[in-house]
Amino acid sequence: MTITETTQDAPATSPDILLSVRDLSVVYEPRGAEPTSAVENVSFDLRRGEFVGLVGESGSGKSTLGFALTRLAKPPARISNGRILFDGKDIASIDAEALREQRQGGFAMVLQSGMNALNPVRSIRHHFFDVFKAHGHVPHDRREERARELIGKVELPAATLDRFPGELSGGMRQRVSIALALSLEPQLMVFDEPTTALDVLVQHAVMNTIRELQKAENFTAVLISHDLGIVLEATERVLVMHEGVIVEDGPSSEILNAPTAEYTKMLLSHYADPRAEVVSLPGFEDRRLRQAAGEARSAAAAPEHAPTVVTRSVSVAQESIVVSHVSKTYPPPRRGEQPVRAVRDVSFTLEPGQSLALVGQSGSGKSTIAKMITGVEKPSEGSITFGGLDVAKLGRGKLRDLHRNVQMVFQDPYAALNPLHTVEYTLMRPVVNFTGLKGQDARRRVLELLETVGLTPVEQFAAKLPHQLSGGQGQRVVIARALACDPQVIIADEPVSMLDVSLRAGVLALLEDLREKWG
Amino acid sequence: MTATVWSNTKARIGVIILLVFVLVAIFAPLLTPYDPSATTFARSADASASHWLGTTAAGEDVLSQLIQGARISVFVGFVAGLLSTVVAVLIGLSWGYVRGWWADVINFFVNLFLVVPGLPLMIVIAAYLQNGGIGMIILVVVITGWAWGARVLRSQTQSLRGRDFVTAAVFSGERPFRIVFREILPNMTSLIVGNFFGAATSAILAEAGLEFLGLGDPSTVSWGTMLFWAQNSNALLTGQWSLLFAPGLCIALLATSLTLINFGVDGLSNPRLREGKSGR
Amino acid sequence: MTYALRKVGLLILTLWAAITLNFVLPRLMPGSPADAAVAKLSQNGPVTAATRKAIEIQLGVPNGNLIEQYGQYLKQVVTLHFGVSYTFYPQPVAELVGQALPYTLILVGLVTIIAFVCGTLLGVLAAWKRGTWLDSLPTLGGSFASAFPYFWTALLLLFFLGYVFKIFPTSGAYGVTNVPGFNGDFLGSAVNHAILPAITILITSLGGWILGMRNTMISTLGDDYVTFAEANGLKPRTVAIRYAARNAILPNLTSFGLALGGVVGGSVLVETVFGYPGIGYLLLKAVTNQDYPLMQALFLMITVSVLLANFLVDILYGVLDPRTRK
Repeated sequence: MTITETTQDAPATSPDILLSVRDLSVVYEPRGAEPTSAVENVSFDLRRGEFVGLVGESGSGKSTLGFALTRLAKPPARISNGRILFDGKDIASIDAEALREQRQGGFAMVLQSGMNALNPVRSIRHHFFDVFKAHGHVPHDRREERARELIGKVELPAATLDRFPGELSGGMRQRVSIALALSLEPQLMVFDEPTTALDVLVQHAVMNTIRELQKAENFTAVLISHDLGIVLEATERVLVMHEGVIVEDGPSSEILNAPTAEYTKMLLSHYADPRAEVVSLPGFEDRRLRQAAGEARSAAAAPEHAPTVVTRSVSVAQESIVVSHVSKTYPPPRRGEQPVRAVRDVSFTLEPGQSLALVGQSGSGKSTIAKMITGVEKPSEGSITFGGLDVAKLGRGKLRDLHRNVQMVFQDPYAALNPLHTVEYTLMRPVVNFTGLKGQDARRRVLELLETVGLTPVEQFAAKLPHQLSGGQGQRVVIARALACDPQVIIADEPVSMLDVSLRAGVLALLEDLREKWG
Repeated sequence: MTATVWSNTKARIGVIILLVFVLVAIFAPLLTPYDPSATTFARSADASASHWLGTTAAGEDVLSQLIQGARISVFVGFVAGLLSTVVAVLIGLSWGYVRGWWADVINFFVNLFLVVPGLPLMIVIAAYLQNGGIGMIILVVVITGWAWGARVLRSQTQSLRGRDFVTAAVFSGERPFRIVFREILPNMTSLIVGNFFGAATSAILAEAGLEFLGLGDPSTVSWGTMLFWAQNSNALLTGQWSLLFAPGLCIALLATSLTLINFGVDGLSNPRLREGKSGR
Repeated sequence: MTYALRKVGLLILTLWAAITLNFVLPRLMPGSPADAAVAKLSQNGPVTAATRKAIEIQLGVPNGNLIEQYGQYLKQVVTLHFGVSYTFYPQPVAELVGQALPYTLILVGLVTIIAFVCGTLLGVLAAWKRGTWLDSLPTLGGSFASAFPYFWTALLLLFFLGYVFKIFPTSGAYGVTNVPGFNGDFLGSAVNHAILPAITILITSLGGWILGMRNTMISTLGDDYVTFAEANGLKPRTVAIRYAARNAILPNLTSFGLALGGVVGGSVLVETVFGYPGIGYLLLKAVTNQDYPLMQALFLMITVSVLLANFLVDILYGVLDPRTRK
C-alpha cells in the first residue's frame, strides 16, 4: 500500500499509477450567492486494478469529487485548481471533443440514480448502439453480438435489449447502466452510490456483480458511498472524506480495525453494527417481529441484512392496539403493471405500556403499517383496532379522536415541517385543536413543550422558521408536536435515519428520556 | 421572493414597463392634454404640435385616448387576472385534494374548458349578451381562462399533499379546509403569482381582441375600440399609421411586460430555469 | 392499444360534451335568442312553422320541453341540418360552413404545424446554446412577438406590405378574376392571398413554441440520462437530439394540443383583418348580424375541429412515448 506519495506535490509518474490527483479543488458558484468550496486541495493516486472506496456523509464532497474525476462537473460546480493525471495525460484542462474521445477506453461513471440514468424513450439496444456509434470501437456487424455479451456480463437475459427502461425494475436498470459503462471498455470506473436507490436484497446482488466484474475485467474502480459497511466489504482501500477534505486514506482492514481520524471512528461506531445502536439504549424491550411483509423475498431476508430499528411504539396507557390479518395492496403505479402488495397478512398486538420495534428492509412495508395504524392509509384487508375504535373504518371526524391518542414522529424533519410556519405556529395547532386551550394558555403550553424537548431559550426557538433549525432541532420540534396532545401512543418512523450520525444519539436519547418521564 | 424576481434582468425590465403603465392609468385624468371623448378637433389630422399623435376620424385627440385607454387595459388585466386566478386556485386546490370519482369529474370539465377554443367561445357569449361592456368582457375572460391555472395548481397540490408536513397537519387535528389553505396554498405562491400574470396577459389580449371586433361597448375609450374605429374609418387607406400603431404597441408592451415578469417568477418555481450559462 | 382505445373513448365523451355545451349556451342567455332569430328571419319573407320549430330546437324557447328539444337537437347535429342562414338567405348553414372550412383548415392547419416545427427546433437550439445569442435572440424576440395582439400584427403587415408597398393583396382568398378549382392561376393567387395571414399566425405563435420547448429542454438537459449519456461520451448532437430534445418534445406536444384552441381563436381575428373568407370571418359576420343559427353551427364546427386535432396529437404522443404502449 503506497499512500506515501499522496502528499507530494509532483504527480506520480510510475507506470503502475493510473490516476494521479494533485491539489484538486472544486467550488460551487451559484448565481447571486457566495461561492462555496466543495472539495479542497485533494491529492491521491490510484494504482491500476485497485478497488478504492470513497466514503463520507452527504455534503462531504465525495460525489462532487467523483464528478470532477470523470470531468462531469457542471455549473455551478467548477474545478478551480489542481491537476488530474489520467494515464499520464492531464484531463483537467483538455477540450470537450478530446475529453469525449477519451471516455472510450478511459473513465466511465455509474450514477447514483440508475433508475433515471436511461433515456425513457429509447430501447436498451439503442443505448448500446449509441455508445458504439459515438466511439466507433465496435465494428458495425459485431454490435448486436457485443451488446448481448455485455448484457450477459451483468447477468441479464439478452431479451432485455428489446425493452424500454420503463419496463425494467430498478435493479435491472442499474445493471444496464453498469453494462453501458462497461461497453466503453474503461480503465477506470467510478460508481457513485450505485445501490443507494435500491432495496437491500437487490443492493447486495448488484454489489456482488460489481465486485465480480471488477475482478474479471480488472478495471480500476472507485466506489463512492455513505455506507462504510458496503465500502469496507467491497474495497481494498478507503478514502474518508469530510467537509471537502480527505481525512483518512488507508487499506480497508486498517480503517476497520485501527482508524486514526476522529471522524472515521465516529462513522465506524455508527455504521459497523447498527444492532448495537438498539442494544445500547436501556429500557427498550425489543421484540423482533418477523415481517410477513414484502413478498416471498422478504422471507429470505436474513436478519443481518436489515437490522435497523424502524418503528417504535411507546405506549403508556389503557388501550391496546390490535392488528389482525392486515394486508395493503396499492393500485398499480402505472397502467399494465402489477398491483403493489405492500403488506400481507400481518397480525400483532401492542399492549399498554409495551414498546415494540418493527424491523424490515426498505420497501418491506413497515412505513405502510405505521400509516395504517395511524389511520392515514386504510388496509385493503383485515382490521386494526385501538381500544374500541376500528381504525380502518373511521371517518374524518373520528380520525381526529384517534390522533388525540396516537401520534407520529416522522422520518425527515425538514419534510415534516411546513417551511413557511414558525415553530410556534406548528406547535400551536395541535394544542388548539386537541386541548381546547386558547390565547395565552395555549402559548404557555407551546413554550412548555419546547422546554420538554430541550429547545431553550424557548422564546427564541418559538419564533424560528424550519430552515433556521438544524436537523436535530427540527426533529425535536417534530417530537414536541407529537407530544402536544398527550397521546397514549407515539409511532416513530425511522426518527433518526435522515440525521447525521452525530445527531442521532441525541435524538434517540431524548426519545428515551421522554418515554421514562411520561411513562 | 421579490428580490429573486428583481435579480432577473428580464423581469426587472418588465416591472419597470408595467409600473409606467399602471402610473399612467392611475393619473390618466391629469395626464391627458384634452378630454379623450371630445370630438371638437379637426378630423383625421396628422401629428402636430397641438396633437402629438394626430386626431381620429371623429375628431378626437389620439394621445388623450391612448392615455385614457391604459385605464381599461390595466383594469381588465388586473381584475380578470385576479378573478381567474381565484377560480383556478379554488378549483385547482380542491381538485388536488379530493380523491376518487370527484377528481375524474373535475378532470373532465377542466379538460373540456382547456380544449374548447377560448376566443370563439367568448365571441359567441359576447354576441348573446350584446354590448355588455367591461363587466361582460371580464366575465367572459374569466369563464374561458381559469382552466389552465387550475390544472397547473392541481398537479402541484397533489405533489404537496403527499409531503410529510401535510400528513403532520392531519395529526395536528387540522380540518381539510385549513390544510388546503394554510399548509398547501402558501407553498405555491410563486406558481399562483405566475398564473396571475399569465392570466392577466391573456385577459388584456382577449379584451382588446373582443373590442377590436366590435363586441364590447364601442363608446368606451380603450385601445381595442381605438383600433376598431381606426379600421372602420379606413385609417389604412388614409395612411394614418399612428392611429394603428400606437394603441397596438401599447397593448403589446403591456403584455410583454407581464411576460417578462413571469421569466423571473418561473425561475422561482423551477430552479433549473434560473439565469445562467450552461457549460457548453 | 388500450391507450388508443381510451383516447377514442375520451374523444367521444368530449365531443358529446361540446355538442351539449352548444345546446346549453343559448338557453342560458338572457332574453329569447330564438325569438330574435325568427324576427330576423321574417325580414326575408314569411317564416314557416317548420323553420320556426327548427330554430327553437337549436336555440330554445323559454318554457319548452328540454329533453325533447335535446333529442331533436342531437338529430339535427348528426344529420348536419343546421337550418337556414338569414345573413346569406336562403343558403343553408351547412353549405356556408362547408365553403369556408377548407380555407381555414389549410391556412391555419398548415401554418400552425410549420410554426410548431420551427419553434420547437429554435427552442432546442436556444436551450442547447443557453446563454449565447442563439438563446437570447429567439427567446426575447419570441416572447415579444407572442405578446403582440394577433389583430395588431395583422394590421401592421396589411398596412405596410399591403397598402404602402403593395406587395401582397389586401383582402380575400383569391383574385376577383380567378375561378376556384385546380388550375395554376387560381392556386397561385390563393397562395399569394394566404401569405400575409400566414405570416401573422407564424409570428405570433412561434414565440410560444420556442419558449415552451426551451424550458422543457433545459429541464431534460439536467436529467440523469443526459448526464449519463455525456459520461458515456456520446456525440453532443446525439445527446441534444436523441436524448434531451426527444424527451422534451413529449410535454410540449401536450401543450401543442391544448394551445390549438388559442391559435384557432387568433385566426378568427386574423381572417377578419384580411377579409379572408374562412370560418373565423364567417363567424364574425354571423355575430354582427345576430345570425344565431349560423353562429352556433360555426362554433360547433370550430370546437369539433379542435377536439379532433387534439385527438390526433394524443395518438401521435402515444406513438412517440413507449410508456403508453402497455
